[in-house]
Amino acid sequence: MTSVVNDLLTKMTKKELFDLASKKGINVPDEWSKQLLIELLSLNISVNELKKKTASTSTVKTKGSPIITTQNLVKKFDDILALDKLNLEIMEGELFSLLGPNGAGKTTTINILTGIMEPTNGTATIAGFDVTENMHEIKKIIGVCPQEAAVFQFLNAKENIEVIGSLHSVSKKEIEKRTNDFLELLGLTEASKRKAGGYSGGMLRKLNLMMALINDPKIAFLDEPTVGMDARSRRNTWEFIGSLKRENKTIILTTHYIEEAEVLSDRVGIIDSGKLVEIGSPEELKNKYNAKNLEQVFLNITGRRITEGL
Amino acid sequence: MKLQALKSLFVVEMKKLIRHPVNLFLNLLFPALLTIVFIFTFSDPELGMSINSVVPGLVVYAVIFLIMTVAQSFSSERLLLRRLNTTPMTSTEFIGSQILSNMVTAMLQVIVVFTLAYLLGFRPESGVISILIALPVTAIFALSSVGFGLITATVSKRPETGTGLSFLFILPQMFFGTFIPVSSSTQNIAQLVPSHYLFEGLQLIFQGSWTSNQLFFDLAVISTVSVLTILLGILLFDRYGNI
Repeated sequence: MTSVVNDLLTKMTKKELFDLASKKGINVPDEWSKQLLIELLSLNISVNELKKKTASTSTVKTKGSPIITTQNLVKKFDDILALDKLNLEIMEGELFSLLGPNGAGKTTTINILTGIMEPTNGTATIAGFDVTENMHEIKKIIGVCPQEAAVFQFLNAKENIEVIGSLHSVSKKEIEKRTNDFLELLGLTEASKRKAGGYSGGMLRKLNLMMALINDPKIAFLDEPTVGMDARSRRNTWEFIGSLKRENKTIILTTHYIEEAEVLSDRVGIIDSGKLVEIGSPEELKNKYNAKNLEQVFLNITGRRITEGL
Repeated sequence: MKLQALKSLFVVEMKKLIRHPVNLFLNLLFPALLTIVFIFTFSDPELGMSINSVVPGLVVYAVIFLIMTVAQSFSSERLLLRRLNTTPMTSTEFIGSQILSNMVTAMLQVIVVFTLAYLLGFRPESGVISILIALPVTAIFALSSVGFGLITATVSKRPETGTGLSFLFILPQMFFGTFIPVSSSTQNIAQLVPSHYLFEGLQLIFQGSWTSNQLFFDLAVISTVSVLTILLGILLFDRYGNI
């Protein structure tokens, strides 16, 4: 989780970093830069220690200006109201997690924002483009990792990634470079020449994620990217997602792994029955509801657990 | 339309043809098998059929089975189509790749049937060169199979359903539009079946009647029906295909 530690350290002020080093018994010269401090501390501190520290000293500020906006977004499936006047603003460069139980409306929101389905009512814009009118422009800047692994079973990993890359007009050279980097980072290099039809569930998930990111998207929609992965693969993938944050990408994430989302997310939006019931940084929400974690925040708001029904 | 995208999608379809066992069997091995079995079984003067009348029918059989593979792949790959839909790929690029790959597949089918038939004694009156005319004609007819496949995929939510429903379009074309003798009472029905015109056209091509009015009429029907069917298929799948 080094990248997660780095992220959390980056959000702290230089003074806070000096204090932290001092508490850890590390003597640091005054002239050290913030970056040096971060590098030193990242080797000497755990995520949990850091979470305690950041909880008491800082709140995460929202980044940039809104890049995704929804206004009174409604989606009906026959007589089922999947989204009920959803109003949402996601800032440029932030990792925003949509949390909620099954059927809350998370995937429907992502499906509308990625052009898979049209809203029944309301508006949604991405980078200033309306999703019902300018989807072609939006598709050029987004990457989508769908909830169910959607890969060509008869192609190998490299070929699968190459197809999506070429549809985004990425050059062959660039596709090859990025593919090799991804395969290395996600530990799939060895299997990359085998047909995807023979992959395990976790490997398919990783491939699913790589395909979503081959175009180096400005905005990445990751719908349950780690569901069904074993603990090790999941950790590996979260580190990879953490590394995307450092590239200043806007990431919209849905997940049932609340603890990990809590560590990675700049802000979370809690959805229940198609409505946004709460929004804010994990720390803000925990403080507001006097809760130990986001699971408890959700429990306090709705009287139910996020993971109910899984 | 971007050529890079079109080429990439076309290559995927051709790799599917070679690497996907069901596609390989239905599109290339099945026609090969049929050619061998039918030539040995039916090309008997005592049955009133010669090898020359069987071969055009075998080509038709092969191409109408494209309906099944198109229906299966569109029904089973909905998740993938959904994913492709989130990229800047245009409908023209996607449908273009489907059309091109199925036209190429149809031409490969002609080559497989023709080569095997030739090895088993088929000698078209117009010579081997006639295959060069048969190739584009069959490729154009393949568009109608893609269209019927899309119509089938529109109403079938699962690949198995797609397989079953595709026979609604395959069987009438098999029985009324090929070498299976039709009685005088069913002759009128045969006129309504697109494959009848490909069968008749291929017979004329292999006989060397390249300038006959009947051949031009057959080509006109094949082209019109193919374009109309594929347009209808695209329209229906786009609107009701539930991607």
